[in-house]
Amino acid sequence: MPIDWEPIWLTLRLAGITTFILLLIGVPLAGWLALSKFRLKPVIEAIISLPLVLPPSVVGFYLLLAFSPTSAFGAWLLKTVNLQLVFSFQGLVVASLLYSLPFMVHPIQAGLENLPVSWREASYTLGQSRRRTLWRVLLPNCKPALLTGIVLTFAHTIGEFGLVLMIGGNLPGQTRVASIAIYDEVELLHFETAHAYAALLLGLSFAILLLVYAINKRVTV
Amino acid sequence: MKRLTLLLLLLPITLFVQAQPLRVAVAANAQFVMVQLKTAFQKKTGIEVESIVNSSGKLTTQIQQGAPYDIFLSADMEYPQTLHKAGLTVAAPVIYAYGSLVLWTLTDLPLSTNLKILSDPAVRHVAIANPATAPYGEAAVSLLKHKALLDQVQPKVVYGESIAQVNQYILSGAAEVGFTAKSVVLDPSLTKRGHWIDLPTTGYSPIAQGVVVLKRTTIPKEAEQFMAFLRSPQARRILQQFGYH
Repeated sequence: MPIDWEPIWLTLRLAGITTFILLLIGVPLAGWLALSKFRLKPVIEAIISLPLVLPPSVVGFYLLLAFSPTSAFGAWLLKTVNLQLVFSFQGLVVASLLYSLPFMVHPIQAGLENLPVSWREASYTLGQSRRRTLWRVLLPNCKPALLTGIVLTFAHTIGEFGLVLMIGGNLPGQTRVASIAIYDEVELLHFETAHAYAALLLGLSFAILLLVYAINKRVTV
Repeated sequence: MKRLTLLLLLLPITLFVQAQPLRVAVAANAQFVMVQLKTAFQKKTGIEVESIVNSSGKLTTQIQQGAPYDIFLSADMEYPQTLHKAGLTVAAPVIYAYGSLVLWTLTDLPLSTNLKILSDPAVRHVAIANPATAPYGEAAVSLLKHKALLDQVQPKVVYGESIAQVNQYILSGAAEVGFTAKSVVLDPSLTKRGHWIDLPTTGYSPIAQGVVVLKRTTIPKEAEQFMAFLRSPQARRILQQFGYH
């Protein structure tokens, strides 16, 4: 059985793009959550954490309805930017951003909250702004937390299935990611091909995690 | 805490008290007709039926892995044949129904059997069940080929994992039109939703659907009763109401 590499590349591309964008969104968000005294912070935290506890089918169902061209949001997207989020790679990226957000934000937020308060105060006393303090003092001191966020997000996106099944439409090269390909092959009773994909994903996931733990051991906090 | 432990210990007992229901694995296209068949069968025999709905391919895989079903109603003959060859069924599959395709939309777009509407720019997505695993998807693709529309429509095609997901795509408006089973649009809960047209079986073969009793059944007598019921005039009538013949 020849193995089709396309689903594997698609999965890696989806995970890579999602991780990169989430890093840009997640760092300032985690910084703000760690440092702010905002009264409604628990509400924001609860919203961010929802994907951790919601079944992917729930998220997928709401996204299917929201992204559909018959919904207000879907119609508006189509009209203004000609962007269709059902049955498209862009749609999977948007869905993954929502779905993997806590995996990026939580570790970074925890890392920042664990740093001694005195560092922050010293930096403020020396006349540094909050943003500069975050970038120059705090973030460089929680590299393991950043790395954990990056890896968890990447790995979690690789493992996405239910969500993609709901809004993807199984299009080769667009939305037929590796997890869906495995599902299809099992259904076709092609167990060898399913094995090949599954073993690849297993090996890949293990390699990524091993790398993280190895680096984490070396990084001195 | 003690009370909780007691409760947890008592929980399994409740599972044994009930008589064992007949578990019927049903291909997605027949899920609605199954509801009616189930009710009629229970009225007639008093035997409780539990149905498990999924695509034929997935149910077949589950059965191969020892899923505790008694009967399997497939969307085609091939999957039950596979199980029969593997020695997992009591007998060779028999045809319980012939299904047919319809084109269905919730939009106001005019539908016609020449399928011209699929080339309309207003149609951005055409939902089809995965032809590799769903017989109804296979039929839809062969119909498109027969009408020489496949190349033109291909870029708009999105695949549902089964007829059930095709219905989801159509009902949520994610796809403007889709090919589904006639038994779906004839369900009383869906007859008022959008509009549909029959697709004559000139471009595809009518879909012969097979049923088998699984060897691992623990209640062969009840399973046999259900098979007999499927052949009864009453069951035939119900199947016809849902567009099977």
